[in-house]
Amino acid sequence: MKDLIAYIAKALVDKPEEVEVKEIEGEQTSVIELKVAKEDLGKVIGKQGRTARAMRTILSAASTKINKRSVLEIIE
Amino acid sequence: MQEFEFEGKTTEEAIEKACKELNRPKEELDIEILEPGSAGIFGIVGTKKAKIKVTLPQEEQEEPTEENDVDFAKKTLQDILSLISTEAEVTAGTEDGKITLNIYGDKSGLLIGRKGKTLDALQFIVNKIVNKSLSRKVQVVVDSENYRQRRRESLIQIALKLGDKAKRIGKPVTTNPLIPRERRIIHLALKDDPQLDTRSRGEGLLKKVLIIPKRS
Repeated sequence: MKDLIAYIAKALVDKPEEVEVKEIEGEQTSVIELKVAKEDLGKVIGKQGRTARAMRTILSAASTKINKRSVLEIIE
Repeated sequence: MQEFEFEGKTTEEAIEKACKELNRPKEELDIEILEPGSAGIFGIVGTKKAKIKVTLPQEEQEEPTEENDVDFAKKTLQDILSLISTEAEVTAGTEDGKITLNIYGDKSGLLIGRKGKTLDALQFIVNKIVNKSLSRKVQVVVDSENYRQRRRESLIQIALKLGDKAKRIGKPVTTNPLIPRERRIIHLALKDDPQLDTRSRGEGLLKKVLIIPKRS
């Protein structure tokens, strides 16, 4: 899950070296924390949150595949 | 961009040299004078050569080919799919100037999602990634199991059915909330019906289409 979000985030931002992804695993639900450079925040959120929403949709499809739930949190 | 340096007794001479060697008229060259040069005293002591820098316009630079774009788009989607841990594969092509990516081998429909939600998300992300690295804009369409065509046909069916209903009851009817591309299909399906009018209603990305019977 972590790798999936890291891959997408790195491809979207200007400073891929500053992308940090942490996965906090729970019994059923995992929390994926995404941190990017301040200037890149808009790139991973997108207009009206469209990019963030698309990432969450893809993440939930990937989680369904392994019978889990994941939540994406973008850290400011 | 290509840069050259030329020298001459005067700047004029250096420019002339540049034109001759690069085989271009003066007007086409971007000239920067590095040292104006001086004739010195009596033309003997302290003579300095004039030096100029010439930059050729960018046209010589190679644009990435369309084939590269298609390959890049395909690789991006394939990478994402393998991180979702599906065995699905991607085929790529072009159609009307758009890059088309087709996912096959996703038997469960997982990558399509409810009402194509996952497919749209993948399409949105791949478009973002591909267009970030290109100077010009390309449109990438992501499809799986011919979903786009099937959805289009079922939307047209819905439009016609709701259109009939509106005419029958003589009152406006609405569709479910739809994204712009899908609303467009509804509007176009009923455009040629002289008895009906269509309008979008709502705020934001998702709007309903209002199908209104015209009073005769």
